[in-house]
Amino acid sequence: MKLDAKVDGLAAKFESNGARFRYERNGEAVEREYSIAALAPGSFSVLIEGRSYSVVSVEGSIRVNGRPFAVEVFDPREMRGHSAGAFGEGRRNIASPMPGKVVRVLVSAGDAVEAGQGLVVVEAMKMQNEMKSPKAGKVVEVKAKADATVQAGEVLVVIE
Amino acid sequence: MFRKVLVANRGEIAVRIIRALREFGISSIAVYSDADRASLAVRMADEAAHLGPAPSSESYLRIDKIIDAAKRHGAEAIHPGYGFLSENAEFAEACAAEGIVFIGPPPSAIRRMGSKTAARQVAIAAGAPVVPGTKEPLGEIQEAKRIAGEIGYPVLLKASAGGGGKGMRRVDREADLESALRDARSEALRAFRNDEVYVEKLVLEPRHIEIQVLGDHHGHMIHLGERECSIQRRHQKVIEECPSPVMLAHPELREKMGAAALKIARAAGYANAGTMEFLVDRDRNFYFLEMNTRLQVEHPVTELATSLDLVHWQLRIASGQPLTIRQEDVQWTGSAIECRIYAEDPGNNYLPSPGKITYLEQPSGPGIRLDSGVYSGWTVPLDYDPMLAKIAVWAPSREAAIERMRRALGEYVVEGIRTNIAWFDGILADECFRAGEFSTAFLDRFKPPAAPAADLETEAVAVLVASLKQAKSPAPAPAKSSAWLAIGRAEMMR
Repeated sequence: MKLDAKVDGLAAKFESNGARFRYERNGEAVEREYSIAALAPGSFSVLIEGRSYSVVSVEGSIRVNGRPFAVEVFDPREMRGHSAGAFGEGRRNIASPMPGKVVRVLVSAGDAVEAGQGLVVVEAMKMQNEMKSPKAGKVVEVKAKADATVQAGEVLVVIE
Repeated sequence: MFRKVLVANRGEIAVRIIRALREFGISSIAVYSDADRASLAVRMADEAAHLGPAPSSESYLRIDKIIDAAKRHGAEAIHPGYGFLSENAEFAEACAAEGIVFIGPPPSAIRRMGSKTAARQVAIAAGAPVVPGTKEPLGEIQEAKRIAGEIGYPVLLKASAGGGGKGMRRVDREADLESALRDARSEALRAFRNDEVYVEKLVLEPRHIEIQVLGDHHGHMIHLGERECSIQRRHQKVIEECPSPVMLAHPELREKMGAAALKIARAAGYANAGTMEFLVDRDRNFYFLEMNTRLQVEHPVTELATSLDLVHWQLRIASGQPLTIRQEDVQWTGSAIECRIYAEDPGNNYLPSPGKITYLEQPSGPGIRLDSGVYSGWTVPLDYDPMLAKIAVWAPSREAAIERMRRALGEYVVEGIRTNIAWFDGILADECFRAGEFSTAFLDRFKPPAAPAADLETEAVAVLVASLKQAKSPAPAPAKSSAWLAIGRAEMMR
């Protein structure tokens, strides 16, 4: 198996035959024999030359001996490419960083906004957080409604 | 002793109290809102009563619903825990009116000590030290100079109607008083439409140290020593210890502060468990701040250091039994430290992080006590305080307790939501913290150390495990990292 990977934002290459892997990043490489045991859903033990690694891997989050890594792996044979989506063309989606409740909507569609201007206030666990505009521009769309419950990542306002 | 007790709370403290009830052979009744139907407390209790919708104003703060649940289930007493209705004199009175025992102080003592200004008057009358100053608005500049001179510089001018630092001025010498007073008044007028300003002593680099008291309804009261609570973020405690490093070096301070706390508690007509909060300055002068008329979140460190169970004693005292411990029987052994585990993201401005816990491994082994309200698969509701659990450790010395805590935190894995578990290690490794030299300003200045770069082999192990999922999934899709990271990068939050 050969894979491309992105680890904490850096491109890397990974190759394994099930008992031995080769890992390369920034011109450095390690090649090791290993054994892996799946202990419970999300929990793994990896042994490399007698060194023990405890790994927890749940929903895209990976921790090795407690240290978190942001890892993406891709099959290089697959076509891929990040879609620019709403982030392209100067459009910015303002999303809720946490699940919560919309307390106040401070802007309307068509409003001109300054960088840093408050757009929407979301509350969770007794803490209110004001979403601020990342740049100067115009409010294209307001999806947030006062008192509505929102999920993490849900788009509240679109700025152009 | 009671046969059946209702626990008017949720989360880890409800679990803590249910455990104590079971140890005494008392039936427990949990209460729950819609958001807490699947909570650990409901599962562990013998009985459970539904209160209402998730908002606490419609559930855990509803006196009528809680009293009604207690009557329907035949509870003889109610333990209020901390927060919610625990310091509500009306609730304590409503219990009494229905013939239900409120496990806590008499309502009159809650009222007397509930307001900061009233509590300050009780402390002054009892001869205990308070932060020097006057809560009376200052008049002319000559009077202000006289009062500030008596208190001793530096002083702090504060708006009577104030809050949030508005109308607040530090004054280091008399020459600056007049202009500072003028500024404070005009700022107070603009902020609160009230230009009244009072003056108190500025306690420099204070520690926040509290004293646990315990008294019965037969006139006997003791103190159980101090808890060091200076490690706070925005007035929210995150690490507590018993003993305080100050008392380790100056044991006589425990006796002095304990005696002052007992004077205040007696003057308030107090009974059951309560806590006096003090500021302590660099010269070990201490000043009474306020009283918490309930069990504290951080009570486990006192329990570990004294081997006394505060909830057991609360139950005995509330049922009318005498407190059989004499002051001279109380011994403090070793060191206990507690860390509060919050569902929050220290890497992103401590934003709350409610959601489903998808994976959980909890610390155990020698000297570890875990008071937790969560389990794997539990969805942490967004309606309440973000505290998930408390880890407390005990060891023969403070140094050993710190290392034990670091070991315990290393065993603690929570996935699915963000927590502050890993954030503590930087504090526990900090030289000033380890030397016991800190004040309530510690976290304002603390910068978490950058994580050391991972070696290539460790990184490769992460990719190895990620590749397993890739191998299994039929249509290769990027194993995405947390949505949090992506959103954090969008820099929309300050």
